[in-house]
Amino acid sequence: MAASGGRTVGSFLWKCGNCCFNFNTVSSNLTRQVLSRQLCVSAVLHRKNLAAAGPEKFSEEFIKKQVEEFNIGKRHLANMMGEDPETFTQGDINRSIAYLFPSGLFDKKAKPLMKHPDEVFPKQRAVQWGADGRPFHFLFYTGKQSYYSLMHDTFTKALAVEKHQDRLRGKDLFTQDAKQISLVGSRWLLKEELEELLVETISEHDYARFIQLMERLLSLPYCSVEEDFVQRYRRQLEIQSSKQQVQPLQYDQHGVAYSTGDGKQRKTATGTVLLRDSGSGSISINGTNYVHYFPVLQDREQLMFPLHFMGVLGRFDMQCSVSGGGHSSQAGALRLAISRAMLSFLSEGQVETMRQAGLLTPDPRIKERKKPGQEGARRKFTWKKR
Amino acid sequence: MAASLTGLLKPWTPRVLLVRWSRYNPYYLEPGPRKEVYHIPETELTPEQKEERELKSVRPIKAATNSVTSSVFNDPVLSKFVNMMMKDGDKIIAKGIITQTLENMKRKQVEKYHKAPEGKKAEIECNPYAIFHQALENCKPVIGLTSIQKGGKFYQVPIPLTDNRRRFLAMKWMITECRDNKHRRTLMYEKLSQELLAAFSKEGNVVKRKHELHKMAESNRAYAHYRWW
Repeated sequence: MAASGGRTVGSFLWKCGNCCFNFNTVSSNLTRQVLSRQLCVSAVLHRKNLAAAGPEKFSEEFIKKQVEEFNIGKRHLANMMGEDPETFTQGDINRSIAYLFPSGLFDKKAKPLMKHPDEVFPKQRAVQWGADGRPFHFLFYTGKQSYYSLMHDTFTKALAVEKHQDRLRGKDLFTQDAKQISLVGSRWLLKEELEELLVETISEHDYARFIQLMERLLSLPYCSVEEDFVQRYRRQLEIQSSKQQVQPLQYDQHGVAYSTGDGKQRKTATGTVLLRDSGSGSISINGTNYVHYFPVLQDREQLMFPLHFMGVLGRFDMQCSVSGGGHSSQAGALRLAISRAMLSFLSEGQVETMRQAGLLTPDPRIKERKKPGQEGARRKFTWKKR
Repeated sequence: MAASLTGLLKPWTPRVLLVRWSRYNPYYLEPGPRKEVYHIPETELTPEQKEERELKSVRPIKAATNSVTSSVFNDPVLSKFVNMMMKDGDKIIAKGIITQTLENMKRKQVEKYHKAPEGKKAEIECNPYAIFHQALENCKPVIGLTSIQKGGKFYQVPIPLTDNRRRFLAMKWMITECRDNKHRRTLMYEKLSQELLAAFSKEGNVVKRKHELHKMAESNRAYAHYRWW
């Protein structure tokens, strides 16, 4: 059904392509064919159950041909857009397609796309049985052969580790503080990633059992023997401080270093700060002195927090502008703007320290909405017995 | 990986709105605003601290709240007390009362210090923060009571209390005592400083209330086995 639908869509687009678009450079029929054919098969992305897909729909030669056509089509597209075919990335492809085929459709999956065939066609397994109909894998009839064979392998490894430990105990070489696998900074494979790895759908329960078994393997003192196996199913977590965008330092005409903290939000208050490295420590907010603008001690303490934390209290001159919100949220917005402006003056380790102190996260807390049937966000209407 | 983790880093509203929820995803960790922690060099860290640091470097951290700073005058216990004293969100008044209380306590203690003979001067505590902490410690109950239903009747059963609960009870008793049992002309800070100084020397109504609770718990000792957790 999908194929016939695809054919009609493809022919429709083919006609569309003929009449609507004039390509500037020499464009082969091949490109249009490739583009329209790629558009047809986007319905395949809806496929959910990978293992029960039945015998493979796309043979290996077909996929290879698709890949070649995609690469040629990519080069033609680059030519069309007047860009260098060698450095044409997927982002460029997406932009060109959005330009050439503007779509007013809301459903993302219905919009025209041109992606590498590996992302379009789901990963499938080769035929699992031989000419005589007998399956190759001994766990084929479980229905989830990769998953169960993985569990089987993991448990075999756990038994092997225990046997190793027993052997060491026999020789009196067993110590409790053997080298442990370092797990900090990495996480287990997510369920989706595991499914991708196994080319099989597994349930939540299956995934939980897999994690349980891996944890059991890790609980053995000598599990470092199987470290490679375990690390295959762990992914590194990225260091958060590397995501911080640090503006480069700017210099004005007197050679004084300055940096701006862009307008930061805290509960509808926005603030901007211009930090100058002049050494006087004066602060002016919206033209007035900070002592007059913030009569409350807590707000002034919030302004000083990033400076005091880094130990640079008297070093900077600040010109701040702030609007919206109340006095507390204005102080919070300015604090965040000051912290961001200060980043240009600091080293990497200090940036990480500031992040861990909670100075660089924008506060996401907002006023909770009022719910229907209640007087406010939490307050209910007065309860009347009758 | 990136697709599912970026969802954890945005401000979120949980799908099922619980009574206690926050705009931070549970993935976020609490911030640590104290300066000294970050100046310890790598070599002097214990393994737990090292592990904590590594964990913090890969997880996003929540923003520090408005009442928290890295200054030496920032006291979490005092901030909690100010929040409990606050009415209708008016923190300026609550903070003002506390500041006046501390000043008042200091004045009284310094007066006592100057009037005391030489030998006794060292025993008089003049630091109002130390007095506040010690007074609160003296008001904290060790054991509490809870109502457990057994066989149609409700019994008051002695139970252990967590640290947070003990601190809360001490602060609550102090505040209610100062609000209720005072002459209408005495100001809050005056009454509060009197109570705190009394609690510091283990006298006064709040400490009496704590002792009463302990006595009740002792008298209901027989029902202790009704607790099943």
